[in-house]
Amino acid sequence: MEVESNLKKVLMNGHFAVTAECGPPKGADPDVIQKKGNILKGYVDSVNVTDNQTGVVRLCSLAACAILKREGLDPVLQMVTRDRNRIALQSDVLGASALGIRNILCLSGDHQSFGNQREAKGVFDIDSIQLIQTVRSMRDEGKVIGGDVLIQPPDLFIGTTENPFADPFQYRVLRLEKKIMAGAEFIQTQCIYNIARFKEWMKQVQDRGIDKKVYILGGITPMKSASMAQYMNTKVAGMDIPDHMIMRMKSVAAKNQREEGIKIAIETIEVLKEIKGIQGIHIMAIEWEEIVPRLVEEAGLYPRPAV
Amino acid sequence: MITAERKPITEIEAMLNPFRRILVVGCGTCVAECAAGGEKEVALLSSALRMDARLKGRKIEVGEVTIDRQCVYEFINELTGFVDHYDAILSLGCGAGVQAVAGLFPKMPVLPGLNTKFIGETKETGLWIENCRACGDCKLGYFAGVCPLTRCAKGLLNGPCGGSKNGVCETNPDTPCAWQMIIDRLEGRGQIDLLQTIFPPVDWSKYEGKGPRKIEREDQRSGS
Amino acid sequence: MAQQKKGPVFAIFFCQQLDARQDINRRCLEKEFGSHIRFFPIPCSGRIEPLHLLKAIESGADMAYLLTCGEGDCRYGEGNIRAKKRVNYAQGLIEEIGLERKRIVLISKKIDAPVSIDILVREAIAGNDMLPIQWNGHNLQVDD
Ligand code: SF4
Ligand code: SF4
Repeated sequence: MEVESNLKKVLMNGHFAVTAECGPPKGADPDVIQKKGNILKGYVDSVNVTDNQTGVVRLCSLAACAILKREGLDPVLQMVTRDRNRIALQSDVLGASALGIRNILCLSGDHQSFGNQREAKGVFDIDSIQLIQTVRSMRDEGKVIGGDVLIQPPDLFIGTTENPFADPFQYRVLRLEKKIMAGAEFIQTQCIYNIARFKEWMKQVQDRGIDKKVYILGGITPMKSASMAQYMNTKVAGMDIPDHMIMRMKSVAAKNQREEGIKIAIETIEVLKEIKGIQGIHIMAIEWEEIVPRLVEEAGLYPRPAV
Repeated sequence: MITAERKPITEIEAMLNPFRRILVVGCGTCVAECAAGGEKEVALLSSALRMDARLKGRKIEVGEVTIDRQCVYEFINELTGFVDHYDAILSLGCGAGVQAVAGLFPKMPVLPGLNTKFIGETKETGLWIENCRACGDCKLGYFAGVCPLTRCAKGLLNGPCGGSKNGVCETNPDTPCAWQMIIDRLEGRGQIDLLQTIFPPVDWSKYEGKGPRKIEREDQRSGS
Repeated sequence: MAQQKKGPVFAIFFCQQLDARQDINRRCLEKEFGSHIRFFPIPCSGRIEPLHLLKAIESGADMAYLLTCGEGDCRYGEGNIRAKKRVNYAQGLIEEIGLERKRIVLISKKIDAPVSIDILVREAIAGNDMLPIQWNGHNLQVDD
């Protein structure tokens, strides 16, 4: 039986896509992933599984994807170049495809000095753009790096991320273009709070016609509290939460801050829906997967299309 | 130059513990430039070691000598004979110096007094920065003279990661983002388009292909 | 004439820009303290090296002082600022071998009125509470 990427089908049929992130546990318990998967099932088109995010050891992305697949979800395998060299990466790409995983998200990964293995050697044998190119050539030309031919090429819908809020701003769009040149088919962006800057970035994207060549999903992370907002803004690499957003979170009583965070998230989704060139959203509810169904429903994105 | 830093005295002292007559050998080249293993540092460390021993009630004898280069046989050879009086050598050379000295005096314990750090540049007096990993295939021509393999914390060759902010690297606010530097320089020259070609994966075989590398130059070798 | 046979030995490094009458002023101290005091004039405190301070202690001083002019007063620019950092480095080093940091002391004096190193040194010595270094029974000279 031919397995296909649900995400790809949703996007190709012109639907506004919804994906969500699922962080694997710091342990070997498969039930945690099953449970998270079942919360998300039916509310999202695909589920991203993070790859030892921020350099903290967790159950591996590939295994977690396989578990989600078994549960009937469409997993997106996140793959960072920080931990494995090109031999391991390419081998995992083949393994993922063999397990019926149909989406891959190519990343370089947070630096190892952030996590719980600070003495680790960062591998970074290749970078994320080279990984995109590698997977693309494995899939389309049936060749690994160096040109050796595969007996059967992997079948994967290839994505990557982009952070419109990082510097140098003027170069971000050029870099996105480069990712597409390398072969990226969908983009999930960093969490969007600074809407003004995001729109500015999207304008550059449209001006260069990039939105016609790639599917762009806007990143959403509901804030749980004002202190989380503040923490993310100062401590998490690549985050940009404008002061007025933090002020807004602070202006409500602590017990109502979650609700405020959800409200902000839904408002942002509404804005994104109206931006030309945005074809979906990617919800990263960090250790708060249970909120995803509500967000999807209240943003008017439920039920999900059957494709 | 090769940069290095002195090991903590406690560590040096523990290594030297079994020995009574110690020769501290400095090197007048790289490690002198970075104020870790030149003549001055040899004198300073020797003085500290003598006092340390005295405080602990141990008797030691510390000899001091600095040669021009600890990584070149002709210079190390100056120590021949001289070293026989000692039980151990504490080398203040870089890792290559320590090994070269140990190679010439195989019976003598040769111990490292420095931690060799990196190939670097004297950025300001008292400030050294790492800027080359000796990858064996210099790519600086593509990157406006800033090495992304070394100076980008992730060694990215195709542009900045998502953590570059306000010109500094996500891993360390004290370190400039290499990619910000590259982009600024190329923009200043109107050559930003150079970055739109995808840079292929690095050929690491030139770096660690078959173990330790060597350079052999027939024109430089004596004999036939 | 060493009256203070059991007291600590002081090494005094001083910037020659400090006191025009330095030679006369120090002579009376030398008479009084004998072998317990030793003066080392330096043309500018910026010339001090950690090695000077260490060598002084190694060869018998229990306390090493560096007398400089105040920050901003240096005739050669930043000599005393550099001196401060060097003193710091030397302090770190003696601390690593188990001696007290405060055996090396930086005294910097704003030159608003004429300075006499005689007075400065007396003040310093009066304020000192460190005893002679316990060298664990060893003489100063290693007897090999
Ligand atoms: S490209 Fe290679 S040789 Fe050139 S500076 Fe970087 S590490 Fe050194
Ligand atoms: S912030 Fe800049 S230097 Fe640091 S890892 Fe990212 S691209 Fe490299």
